[in-house]
Amino acid sequence: MIPALAHISDSAPRRRASRSLARRTADALASAVAEVLANDEVASRPGLMQRLDPRVKLISILGFAVTVSFVHSLPVLLAMAVLTVALAVASRIAAGPFLRKVWAAAGFFGVLLAAPAVTAWITPGTVLVPFGPASITYPGLLVAARLVLRVAGGAGFGLLVMLTTRWTDLLAALTAMRVPDLVVATLAMTQQQIMSLLRTVENMHLARESRMLSTASAGQDRGWVVERMAFVARKSFKTADDVYDAMLARGFSGAVPTLSRLATGPRDWTWLLVSVASCAAMLAIDRMVFPA
Amino acid sequence: MSAPFVLTGVCHEYRPGALALDGIDLVIETGQHVAVVGANGSGKSTLLKMLDGLVFPTAGTITSFGHPLTESSLEDPVMRREFRSRVGFVFQEADVQLFCSSVFDELAFGPLQLELAEADVRARVAEAAEALRIGKLLDRAPYALSGGEKKRVAIAAVLAMRPDVLLMDEPTNALDPRSQVWLLEVLSEWKTAGRTVVIATHDLSAAAEACDRMVVLSEEHRVATDGTPFDVLAQRDLLLEVNLIHEHAHRHGRGEHAHPHEHGHLHAE
Repeated sequence: MIPALAHISDSAPRRRASRSLARRTADALASAVAEVLANDEVASRPGLMQRLDPRVKLISILGFAVTVSFVHSLPVLLAMAVLTVALAVASRIAAGPFLRKVWAAAGFFGVLLAAPAVTAWITPGTVLVPFGPASITYPGLLVAARLVLRVAGGAGFGLLVMLTTRWTDLLAALTAMRVPDLVVATLAMTQQQIMSLLRTVENMHLARESRMLSTASAGQDRGWVVERMAFVARKSFKTADDVYDAMLARGFSGAVPTLSRLATGPRDWTWLLVSVASCAAMLAIDRMVFPA
Repeated sequence: MSAPFVLTGVCHEYRPGALALDGIDLVIETGQHVAVVGANGSGKSTLLKMLDGLVFPTAGTITSFGHPLTESSLEDPVMRREFRSRVGFVFQEADVQLFCSSVFDELAFGPLQLELAEADVRARVAEAAEALRIGKLLDRAPYALSGGEKKRVAIAAVLAMRPDVLLMDEPTNALDPRSQVWLLEVLSEWKTAGRTVVIATHDLSAAAEACDRMVVLSEEHRVATDGTPFDVLAQRDLLLEVNLIHEHAHRHGRGEHAHPHEHGHLHAE
């Protein structure tokens, strides 16, 4: 399943008046399905990264992510974070929603993790804001900024792969990169079944709402949700059995071979070359221009 | 040449007391188009799964192309490969059958399981895609398809294995009228090609149009009758008894009358 991190929409979220739990849940589920489908549309746009072979893209982005983790200087880390946004724009992804997603997923957790590091208790040094052992220090701020930029840079590169690669191509790339067939097949089935279950749950909520004559209490809502969760769990087990039967019916005997339909061209090799050169340049600048 | 399926005294219980099939004797010959019809819960789907070696009799025997069809016989890789390459099953719910990441992979899954060479696999994928007119969908993810498209892909995925026998569970389910007509045309082509087809359905009109033999299952999970669609559909009392049609009272102008009613029935008056 494409993680929520990768869901992106160019439109701003809509605000509505207070609604029932059933309606809110159904809307959220419908939105989740729509966003997964929208991701395929983003990945099909004729942008810079969408045109790359998924294997080359995975390898190059992995290189950028590793480079981010080795860089120490703030200017270089900032440059790499800016690079992710530039690549997003060149891939026809709106910068605003992209930044929001990167910040929501990585920045928030980065700040949470980095918050203790800004204090004199963890990182002693020149105090900027005195507050006893929780005083904010200059070295502490540098450490926190480095951590946040690293996490944001890594998440940005990861998000770029998710957004510019169709799910089917990503799985094909994983297969080509020798990820075990069963792992790839399981990922594919998981995506398929989650989409199917999302639609089932959405319809359950809508069916309930269509028969509700008055507003249910919060307790009734919770009870209903728990009961439906049990139903969905049972259904998912049944579906898993049926899918296995369907696999057996088509000769499944334990292995899931696939045919690679990927092909590299001059554009991919150029990109790979530029990526390697960029990573090397970033590391060199980090070490030589901004030595620790 | 041995018959694709010979069932002798076949019974199946999902658990003690939960009977799904009771004493089924049935021979399905090569090239026949057989419709297994019956009310909901009569055992049609169980029978089809049994013919595909997915569930097994709790009593009685099945042979397929002269070989016993049992759980242990299908554990033999040679028998399994032979059987799976000759018998294809289109499930009622296409969502269950589509488990690969793309339509292309879906169509290639069966041929790859048969360990065909890459060129042969690609040829079969292209052939099945052309036959079902889904060439434009090959790069799409199955979850992003409409219901009708999913059904086409599910059928193509089975056709890519070039089976001698096609088993289809409620093939017209979830299809719009246009797609239903298309499916009946496909079944007609298969009849011309001499392929054996067994469909499970409660749609009598589709069954009559697609098949030359009709096996009716009763609500007691037994074969109630077996014959040509013409003969079976003439047995109104029996069809009422097995709950495939019902008495239908309605008005035409000022007059009111009652007659048996079935799916696909059109009033000429």
